[in-house]
Amino acid sequence: MRVEISRSGGFAGMTRTWSLEVSPAEAEERWLPLADRAAEAPQEEESRRERDQRDRYVYHIVIGYQEVTLPESRLDEPWKELIERARRGSTG
Amino acid sequence: MHPHCSIVPPHLLAHLAAVDDPRHAVAARAARRALVQLDPLLAGREEAFAAPVPPRTAVGRPLERRISDAGGQEILPGTLVRGEGDAATGDAATDEAYDGLGATDALFRQVYGRASIDGAGLPLAATVHYGELYDNAFWDGERMVFGDGDGDVFGRFTRSLTVISHELTHGFTQYSTNLVYEGQSGALNESLSDVFGVLVEQHHLGQTVDQASWLVGEGVFTDQVQGRALRSLAAPGTAYDDDVLGRDPQPATMSDFVITTSDNGGVHINSGIPNHAFYLTALHLGGYAWERAGRIWFDAAVGGGIQANSGFRLFADVTQEAARARFGQDSAEHEAVRQAWAKVEVTG
Ligand SMILES: [Zn+2]
Repeated sequence: MRVEISRSGGFAGMTRTWSLEVSPAEAEERWLPLADRAAEAPQEEESRRERDQRDRYVYHIVIGYQEVTLPESRLDEPWKELIERARRGSTG
Repeated sequence: MHPHCSIVPPHLLAHLAAVDDPRHAVAARAARRALVQLDPLLAGREEAFAAPVPPRTAVGRPLERRISDAGGQEILPGTLVRGEGDAATGDAATDEAYDGLGATDALFRQVYGRASIDGAGLPLAATVHYGELYDNAFWDGERMVFGDGDGDVFGRFTRSLTVISHELTHGFTQYSTNLVYEGQSGALNESLSDVFGVLVEQHHLGQTVDQASWLVGEGVFTDQVQGRALRSLAAPGTAYDDDVLGRDPQPATMSDFVITTSDNGGVHINSGIPNHAFYLTALHLGGYAWERAGRIWFDAAVGGGIQANSGFRLFADVTQEAARARFGQDSAEHEAVRQAWAKVEVTG
């Protein structure tokens, strides 16, 4: 299954996109449940700290038909792993 | 009630805090403490009401810098490696951050009479060597944070003074207008950081409008990227044009305003429009940009007329009003600001 990651914002304001292919089994087990939870989670109250952050990245991740937008400050370890894999595998 | 509520108005506290007579030392110390305890946002506003502040009369504590090292981890603040007055460490990022904070404070304090970003001498904190191959610099609400870059597209972010001054200006904006980081108000927030970012560099190098590069982030790209910098106030959209990264997407006029959901609604993209309006104002007036154009933008930012959700149009009105208030209705300054906003098509 194809995973597309686009990163916007940051000091440079440059959008970068990376993608990778994961097996349907891996997507079902690891990434789709994570994306479901992130997409369905009620927008938590932003902490003052988070609200005052500037120039951080925003990630938009598409896994099959599921998509999720995550500010950099909310990227948990599994997402970081996925992004790292996509960046290593992409040339662009 | 607010826990730090005080019956002494902040401008009076500021005056007391600045008293240098040993007979009033206790009162001055108490006033300084009260000032620091004020709600930072309120303190910024009140300071604004006390404007115009003549040069070299900044009140509050003197410059205090604290540079910490995250040691390649994504942990804040990291270990303190250089405090105010400490000798250079020999680590480039640490020493560039230290010097950059000093240059930024110099513009705000010496030219505009504002002690630190909050007007009350808040210590300036930075963390360097954040994360592994981390390719960004950001403001976290309390400190600025610098990555070392991925070595592929970006090198060390502290290499450009304008990156340091841009980040620190986010602190200034937080304590003055706190423009919401989304859409047009977000683009104005970004623009203030770019404007004062380049002014810090021009002031530091003693450059006139004609001598300045008007670039943000010159030198942070590696040699592999085809581009001079990240943004250009003089010619938005021309800072880089690279096979892999694409072209600088900044517009210079409202006709090219970019509607997008990414980058918090294009805050780093549409900032090109107010950036260019500032450049046109400075170009029209000539000389040192921080003296007149910069003063007008500073007055607008601290004057209380800008709301957290202000768009370009309101910002244009407030800067014109600031120019009129300081330099007069028939002044060249007022005319320069009026023409600049018309040229970028924000006003008719
Ligand atoms: Zn910024």
